[in-house]
Amino acid sequence: MMTKQVRYEALVKALHGDLYRYAYWLCHEKQVAEDLVQETFLRAWRALDSLKDEKAAKSWLITILRRENARRFERKRFEMSEYEEATITDTKAISNEQNIENDWLREKIAQLPPEYSEPLVLQVLGGFSGDDIANMLNLNKNTVMTRLFRARNQLKDALAAEPKTKGVYNG
Amino acid sequence: MDDLQFRRAILADPKSTETDNAELLAALLEDPAKKQFAQEINLLDEKIKQALNIPVPDNLCDKLILRQTLASHQVQKRKTRVHLALAASVAILGGLLFNFMQFSSAYTSLGDYALAHVYHEETYFANNSKDRVTLTSLNQKMAAFDGNFNESLGKLLFADYCRFDGMKSLHLVFQGKTSPVTVFVVPKNDQLNFTAKFDDNNLYGESLGFKHANVIIVGDKNESLEQWQQNISSNIAWTI
Repeated sequence: MMTKQVRYEALVKALHGDLYRYAYWLCHEKQVAEDLVQETFLRAWRALDSLKDEKAAKSWLITILRRENARRFERKRFEMSEYEEATITDTKAISNEQNIENDWLREKIAQLPPEYSEPLVLQVLGGFSGDDIANMLNLNKNTVMTRLFRARNQLKDALAAEPKTKGVYNG
Repeated sequence: MDDLQFRRAILADPKSTETDNAELLAALLEDPAKKQFAQEINLLDEKIKQALNIPVPDNLCDKLILRQTLASHQVQKRKTRVHLALAASVAILGGLLFNFMQFSSAYTSLGDYALAHVYHEETYFANNSKDRVTLTSLNQKMAAFDGNFNESLGKLLFADYCRFDGMKSLHLVFQGKTSPVTVFVVPKNDQLNFTAKFDDNNLYGESLGFKHANVIIVGDKNESLEQWQQNISSNIAWTI
């Protein structure tokens, strides 16, 4: 029989990366994402006994995180800055072409409306099926599939119009 | 499956080509253009996946475990604090109860207590003891009760302060006819009821109420307590 502590640590090790990325794509800020993940795991620790099926852990944690994120908006919210959120994504790692493309794609994903990007993140990163996502987001499956279709379609179109160089165009 | 349906299905879930959706697979085999489209979208998905895979802070995992450890530690501390408070309350209650039992008097009247006191110390005093206490040292002790004896009442065997139901009092033992006669000088108080006369099988006693103190005389049945009473009343002088 595993102790609660061991179960918790296993859960953290296995899922903190996925959860952090999900949080990041939800709020587009590293610090906020980290805070969200911390809050989420703290809540998860308190309620760990209610998690019966370890396989459902990921969707359970994501549900907690979404609630936590919603709570963030219930509280008084300070505007962080006047910059477009999309422009403060990771811009440090510009070393090769792949990273440049990643960067560019990140901006595009960040510019997607949240109702499109959220299912996309859940599907691509989380590996959830349409049914799972529909459950988690309290939507019906057709809506989820439509949004996924639109999200990809927008990205595809954007990619087709992709500029080949990045940065400032000077002369 | 027409082109639009196919595109919708692929765009909604590129992985659906890997499942055994017969209709979709058939469409893929039929039309190379569809196959190419599926491949393109799969490539796009791969790119999206890489883009979404932002780096996770290295120490996030440790931070999470640390916060949980701290949080559960605090909960434990709160619990021990509650336990400590409970233990303290029980200890205080126990202390109060002990105090109550210890210092509340088991006797309700002066007489009862005086008799019990005499019986308790009976063995210390012998009627034929050669010990004598002088009038001067007696009066020195009496000064604490603002009293004074004009002359010796008899052969005084013992005179000292003692606790009379928790009160400081003067315990005098005189030589009597057959057994010692005990005289207590006790400050006035409300705790014990004043009883003028009291007795049991062997001893009897009388109390005299003065302004500042009660004087209790206890002797055996051969003793004439009235005589003692008169002697004391006429001999004692209160200073204020």
